[in-house]
Amino acid sequence: MKPSVLAKKIAFFVGIVLVWQALDSANVWPDKIFPSPLEVGESLWYGASNGTLFYGIGTSLWRLAIGLSIAIAGGITLGVFMARVETVNQTIGSIVLGLQSIPSVAWSPLAIVWFGLTDAGVIFVTVAGAIFSVTINTYTGVKNINPDYIAAAQNMGAKGGQLITKVLVPAAFPYMISGFKQGWAFAWRGVIGAELLFSFLGLGFLLNVGRQLSDVSQVIAMMLVIMIIGIVIDGLIFKRLEDKVMSRWGLR
Amino acid sequence: MAKLEAKNIVKYFDHDGQQLRALGGINLVVEEGDFICLVGPSGCGKSTFLRIVAGLQKPEEGQILLDNRPIVSTGPDRILVFQEGALFPWLKVRDNVEFGLKIAGIPESERHEISKRYLDMMDLTKFANSYTYQLSTGMRQRVAIARALVMDPEVLLMDEPFAALDAQTRDTLLVEMQMIWQKTKKTIVFVTHSVSEATVLGNKVAIFTHRPSTIKKIVNIENKRPRLSEDDSLMKYQQEILAELRPEVKLKEDAE
Repeated sequence: MKPSVLAKKIAFFVGIVLVWQALDSANVWPDKIFPSPLEVGESLWYGASNGTLFYGIGTSLWRLAIGLSIAIAGGITLGVFMARVETVNQTIGSIVLGLQSIPSVAWSPLAIVWFGLTDAGVIFVTVAGAIFSVTINTYTGVKNINPDYIAAAQNMGAKGGQLITKVLVPAAFPYMISGFKQGWAFAWRGVIGAELLFSFLGLGFLLNVGRQLSDVSQVIAMMLVIMIIGIVIDGLIFKRLEDKVMSRWGLR
Repeated sequence: MAKLEAKNIVKYFDHDGQQLRALGGINLVVEEGDFICLVGPSGCGKSTFLRIVAGLQKPEEGQILLDNRPIVSTGPDRILVFQEGALFPWLKVRDNVEFGLKIAGIPESERHEISKRYLDMMDLTKFANSYTYQLSTGMRQRVAIARALVMDPEVLLMDEPFAALDAQTRDTLLVEMQMIWQKTKKTIVFVTHSVSEATVLGNKVAIFTHRPSTIKKIVNIENKRPRLSEDDSLMKYQQEILAELRPEVKLKEDAE
């Protein structure tokens, strides 16, 4: 990052904290519903020192990892078959867009009925929230493959599974990355949303505990943690993966 | 002996919902070791014919015989070099060249041995670890040719592989292509729109008519190699081919 950009960012965040502190000092709202930055910081420190924060982060990330892996594997499979087998596209394909429009938390009641208040239930919500973005982007990617790539591969003897793993998937990868990026964001929302409803460990649970105890500092602290994890995962994993793939594929 | 034989190949194009008879019964015999160039007015279906030979498209009528056996599908015994190369951008040059060998399940050490030979032949050794976007168009076509040669096909099919190259690069590759042919003794079917390119490369040049196309004439060229595009001795063949081609191009233009 260029120093000037970094300076801008630092100034922006310092500005937010200052405005926040100023609002708090003005005593417009009672402290109970509008905590100061320091109180939120204390809440974070408290959670960190007794370990509940890290346990919550670990639990949520673990669920995210499992759910997102299933969503990516399933989404790629479904997307490839939709793009290559007309019948699959005409049947399953016609409902995928509709399923994609269901917010992930809307799967929670079903998950509770089917899986109870378990990890499997949270993971189910995560998968349901993320799988269809991966599916749609994979489908688009495979449909947009230069037909000469497929013809050349078949000409050299590739068929069936080899054609899928050695040509279709890598050729569609730049599109699939967009699906992963969308899918991960949906998965993260799914995890937190389900944890809120399931009240069963994780960051969403800690957020809900904050509400139940009327501890607004903890609510805001958990929201900050959820957001920061979002920024970190996007920047460290998906942005890097995207940059790497785009340059490798000669697309930028 | 006939290596490759096309028997009455008929193919329709779908043109604005209308069925257009593109190939009107192509009959062609390619002898073992021939370097045959196909020329014809644009849109006459010569590239389509090549894809039919490769087994990538099916004709409405007729059949292709390879060593007297009808072909049923595509396969590595007839490798096609595409106009734009169709190299895989996610693979390094070496992995592109070894793609077909890997598909065939050939072990890594053997693959490297084979690819090394053809990377050397095509002057690509120092680019073996590059990605294709890092190469010039000419270099990419060399990779495409190497990728085809490693498969040791019975027939090498080339679809205007030099069409997008600048004149100097094309001249170099025209000479190299002749050396490759002499060295490997491959049977080559080469589609081009350039009459000059056809006379430099081919020991036979087959002229397609306008749609529905048939083969109008085959010109034999026995000049010694390596030939260059500026060779005076090729002039008379070029004139002969152009004389056959001109009325076909006129028919095409009248039809539009």
